[in-house]
Amino acid sequence: MPLKQIIPLFLFILCYTQVFSQAKVDSTDMVTLRIDPQSARGAAVSQVFDEVKFIPLETTKESLFGNIAQLKIAGNKYIIYDYDTRSILLFSDEGKYISKIDATKLQTDKEDKEKAQSYGFRTVNEEGKDYIIIFTGNNVQYFTMDGKFIKKVKNYSYSDEIAMSNGNILAKLGMYIKKGKDSTFYKLNIINKIKKDTVGYFKFDTKLYETDDWYGDGGISQYAPNEAFWSTFYDYNLFKITPEKVSLAYKFILPAINTLPKDFLTNPIYVKKRFDYFEKNKKIIHGLGKSYLLGDNLYLRFSNIFWDKDQKKNLIYNIKTSELLSFQDLEPDSLSSFLPITDSGFGYDFENRGFLAFEDGKFYTSYSSLAMFAFKERSADKAVKYPPLLENYFKTGNRKSNPVLVVFKPKTK
Amino acid sequence: MRFLLVLAIGILCLFTSSSYAQQPAAAPTTGTIKGIVRDTVHNYVLKSATVSLYRADSSVLNYQLSNNYGEFKFTNVPIGQILRIDISNVGYQTFRQKITIPKGQSMLDLKTLVINPRTDTLKEVVINIPPITYNNDTLEINAAAFKLDSNATVEDLLKKVPNITVWGDGIITVNGKEVKSLLVNGKQFFDGDNKVTLQNIPKNALEKIQIFNNADRNNPLDSNLVANLKLKKGKDRSYFGKIGFGYGTNNHYQIDGNINLTTPKLQLSVIGATNDVNKTPNDINTLVRNSTFKGVGTSIEYQPDFRQTGINKGTVAGAKMNYNFTPDSKEWNNKSSLSADYYFKNIESNNTGKNQSITTLSTNNKLFSFSENASVNNSESHRLNSQFNYYKKNHQLDISETFNTDNSSSIQTNIRNASDNNNQITSTNNGSSTNNSDNQNFNLRANYSYNNYNNWKQRFKGIDVGYNLSMNNRNTDRNEITAFRDLLTPTLNRDFNRNYQTNVKSFNQNINLTLRDLKSLFFGNKNLSNFNAELSAKLDLDNNKNNNQVQDLNGSTYQANNYLSNNLQTNQTVFTPGVSISKNFSKNLSNRYNKSLRIKLTAAQQLSYQDNKSIKGFQNINRNYNNFVPNASISYSNYQYGTHQTSISLNYNTQITIPTVNQLAPLTDSTNLYNLQRGNINLVEAKTKSLNLNLYRYDMRNKNTLNFNANASIGLIEDAIIDSSFIDARNRRNNYLANANGSKYARLYGDIRKSLKFKSAELKFGYTTNFNINRTPNYLNGVFNFSTNTSTENKISTNFTFKDKFALEGTQSIATSSSKQQTLNTTYKNTTLTSGLSANYNFTKKFSLNSNISFNNNNPSVGETINFTIWNAEANYRFTKGNNAEIKLSALDLLKQNRAIFNYAGTNTFTTSTRNVLQQYFMVTLSYYPRKFGKATPVKK
Repeated sequence: MPLKQIIPLFLFILCYTQVFSQAKVDSTDMVTLRIDPQSARGAAVSQVFDEVKFIPLETTKESLFGNIAQLKIAGNKYIIYDYDTRSILLFSDEGKYISKIDATKLQTDKEDKEKAQSYGFRTVNEEGKDYIIIFTGNNVQYFTMDGKFIKKVKNYSYSDEIAMSNGNILAKLGMYIKKGKDSTFYKLNIINKIKKDTVGYFKFDTKLYETDDWYGDGGISQYAPNEAFWSTFYDYNLFKITPEKVSLAYKFILPAINTLPKDFLTNPIYVKKRFDYFEKNKKIIHGLGKSYLLGDNLYLRFSNIFWDKDQKKNLIYNIKTSELLSFQDLEPDSLSSFLPITDSGFGYDFENRGFLAFEDGKFYTSYSSLAMFAFKERSADKAVKYPPLLENYFKTGNRKSNPVLVVFKPKTK
Repeated sequence: MRFLLVLAIGILCLFTSSSYAQQPAAAPTTGTIKGIVRDTVHNYVLKSATVSLYRADSSVLNYQLSNNYGEFKFTNVPIGQILRIDISNVGYQTFRQKITIPKGQSMLDLKTLVINPRTDTLKEVVINIPPITYNNDTLEINAAAFKLDSNATVEDLLKKVPNITVWGDGIITVNGKEVKSLLVNGKQFFDGDNKVTLQNIPKNALEKIQIFNNADRNNPLDSNLVANLKLKKGKDRSYFGKIGFGYGTNNHYQIDGNINLTTPKLQLSVIGATNDVNKTPNDINTLVRNSTFKGVGTSIEYQPDFRQTGINKGTVAGAKMNYNFTPDSKEWNNKSSLSADYYFKNIESNNTGKNQSITTLSTNNKLFSFSENASVNNSESHRLNSQFNYYKKNHQLDISETFNTDNSSSIQTNIRNASDNNNQITSTNNGSSTNNSDNQNFNLRANYSYNNYNNWKQRFKGIDVGYNLSMNNRNTDRNEITAFRDLLTPTLNRDFNRNYQTNVKSFNQNINLTLRDLKSLFFGNKNLSNFNAELSAKLDLDNNKNNNQVQDLNGSTYQANNYLSNNLQTNQTVFTPGVSISKNFSKNLSNRYNKSLRIKLTAAQQLSYQDNKSIKGFQNINRNYNNFVPNASISYSNYQYGTHQTSISLNYNTQITIPTVNQLAPLTDSTNLYNLQRGNINLVEAKTKSLNLNLYRYDMRNKNTLNFNANASIGLIEDAIIDSSFIDARNRRNNYLANANGSKYARLYGDIRKSLKFKSAELKFGYTTNFNINRTPNYLNGVFNFSTNTSTENKISTNFTFKDKFALEGTQSIATSSSKQQTLNTTYKNTTLTSGLSANYNFTKKFSLNSNISFNNNNPSVGETINFTIWNAEANYRFTKGNNAEIKLSALDLLKQNRAIFNYAGTNTFTTSTRNVLQQYFMVTLSYYPRKFGKATPVKK
């Protein structure tokens, strides 16, 4: 076959697969935002938040844990995953210890390849009942919300998901969609339970996980019952997910010093050399982390590998006034008992993990008792009357106590 | 004389000025100024902004960084004076205002002070550099903001910075936290000795001092402060040095000179010293450290070594260089450098000594011996070391080389006699000897390691390869003349005049290979977590050639001694393959602790082959040894965030000692009749099994730290090679060797350091203990005996320093030794008590006094108790504008009591010896310290 004929045929095949297997992202309402993170301003904590609450988590011999790797708010309970002890701990909304699922007590079957060990958890509602499900190397194990073992399930889909339209629409991260004999991997997938179809967005060749390196934040962050953002590595776009569609909502333009080279994804010189590149260009932002739109305020998280504490990465952008605030410039005031609301500048819990949760209009983060006692020392001349929970904690706890949960409710007006 | 006059006037001025200062203030004259710094454009308070207070004449009164809430607060500010406040921060226009605390008030609240960001279009003329700035986690001290005299050093500058303390021992603390490393333009400066750095770099060559924390991201509270001296552009080429001359009573003298050159890549030192007051260190670093410019510190150091025996005249000289191929690299795994040093040492020493010893043959049967000796020794040595390091990513290569050559000659005469239980002299032995020897030594070490820990997907993690080569050539010409007189049986009289010509050549090689992380290699990265294994192999190849030509004077000619003349060659091969398995357990709780336990077991087999070829048939011995040499270790470490770290380790070791041909079948030299060395062809290898316990605690708190370190070991030697001595009534000893079980030892070493820090003073306590006990079996005239030797040493010290003004140190030590012979029922004991006190006071920057005294008491169970006191005093005066010249008056051993006494308890002997030593002298020393930092120097790379 002559070459002239092969090329159009090839192009046709290419277009065909593009059109039919990858759904189109609507970008008609896209807003371009120019943001210079270092120009962000400060504000008093009480100007940004309506409520700040510190919940010291009770320290007993049984409840002692490292730090919070994962947090889920289930009614009046906090469910916490601690990587150090590999356990799931339950605390009341006042920080009182309830019980835990001991990692060493997970069941291992004879045919299992490895000893059961937890790698995180999720809460699910199946047939009207709530469960804590724990991921192990072999299976997932179901527990009641009180920590009682129920069952083990194999072949569980681990990818992160959120639900909209009363559970009829699911947005799910990275999965394969089968079309005939072929199966294609998409970074974002929308499952419509009523239409019984699954639409994939952003095709990805999983071989690249082996042949290249990937560093990045991103993921799905749901900030309203029927609204969520999605972002991915090496990309400065924020996509909006609603039950109806996936659309490109915001496109960020950053100062040149923070911006990835245009050919970063296509030029082979970066393959397997991406981490070296970031090491040499620490100010380059490699992507957007979980972000939220609350009222007119966009809560944004930019990621780079530069740990300098003057780097402003967690920002609040007002889409009406285009005012830009940074988390680290928030001044503690009486609303927060003159204590910082994150451990930025002292520890790295907030830098590493960002918000642990956003639930019912409130953000959750945490910091260590090592940090809390240092902050208290720094504000020694403020003569603060601490709320009872904190007052009692300062009396009975010490630098080795369990971490403190920080809950704050953003103003939406 | 004129100097003394200047000195007296100086002291007088000082006391008068200080008495003025002591007059009490009549009314409160100081108050407080406070305020908040705010950026209203960005709407936040400024943390760590520099707030400086200046007097009317623009000199700095005080300054601080605003706290986390933007607040600052100055206390002790004079009331009623016009002052200026400057607030500065990187990226902001400097805020400036004249302020005064009104009379009758004690507080001035400036409320909120607004500071504006600097816009790029408005280029601000820098009106004043703030004394300190805080930028990107780095505290910067700007040298230009401090007005000091034109020859001030970096140390003088640091002493002016509040919250920074330079302690008497050279340690620098910032807000109580110790600076762990001091760098110059990011690199170590001449071996990283803080004092050399601080006291030689002029303040005017310095742009700023950057202080930052290099701590692990996960342990933000741990102090790992780094201070980097950033020199002004062009000031990184420099020279500094010293020339000094001293002359004293008894014609004592000392001369020394030193020059150090630096460029961005090269550091070079050339040094020389000659004296007769025991100031001849063994290595070039100690010499450099003690021959460069020093500020007036509180430490007392580099005094003549009064412990050294003999009267010594020494000359030392050397040069060292360091070349950095990657001067700008900050990563540890991208570094390569070459360093080399050369050292020359010539010592001429005159020694005289007396020894008295008691040997116990059996209960109530003792022998006494007395000897007196005199010798003149001359030695000259050259040493060349070089080292090359190349680190690049996963590869690490270290090559080092040492070449030594030395020539020595000595002439010695000695008189010995032995007497019996009734103090009746039974024999005498008079001898003289001359000895000339030259020796060449070459050592090469090369180590390569490959680490592949970055790429976790890769199964092959790394390998270590090591190669050592050691070559030695020694020629000795020796003549021994001995006259032995047996006063009981004259037929046993012996006379010798013997020449020895010895050539020893050795060629030793050693190859080590370790293949690490076998687990991931065979089972992948995920399986068998916490388990690991490694394979190791060690090969030692030794070749020794020994040529000995011995001649005896017969009449008037020397004739070959066919018995002692020999040609011996020994080849020895030792191969030790081994396999280790290890398991790690760790427990980590974020921000609280990190505990880990590691167990490692090694099974190794040591295969040895020794082949001796000699012209003496009885020395043609070849032997094989095959031993299992297991090893086990347990180590535990407990890291408590922000407070302390402790670690404990326990090791079990097996070591094999192969008998040498000189132990198996020696040629017995009859010249020294008091000690005839015999062998034993039936000796087998000795096996030492030892257990070693280590304890360590490192305190990470800011102040009042407690640190300790302890080491205990016990050992059991199977088939130990022991002495079997036959001693006759004339104290002539024949030493045979034998294997015996029951040899044991136990050792303990420990030290504890506690420090207490006050506002401007520090108190340190230290305690060290040393305990040794061993039980050695031996045969004495055929009777089996256990000799138990014990020695202990305990020392406490207290050190008090008040700023850089005054230092006081007190020490007390007690040392005991004893030797007990079970079957002979004898015990020898000795106790030594030493008390020391030293003090240093700096009257001004130019003048200081120091003095130290030690009381020594030596109390042996046999013989007289000896007491002596050594008292030294020294006065220093610095002059010229830059304090570059120094005159020093020293008085050493003021009481003229220095003595050298040694007591030694052996298996069945107790020896007391005295030696001649350096004694009282007075000396005047003049020194000049040239220094120049900057481009206009003759320094050319």
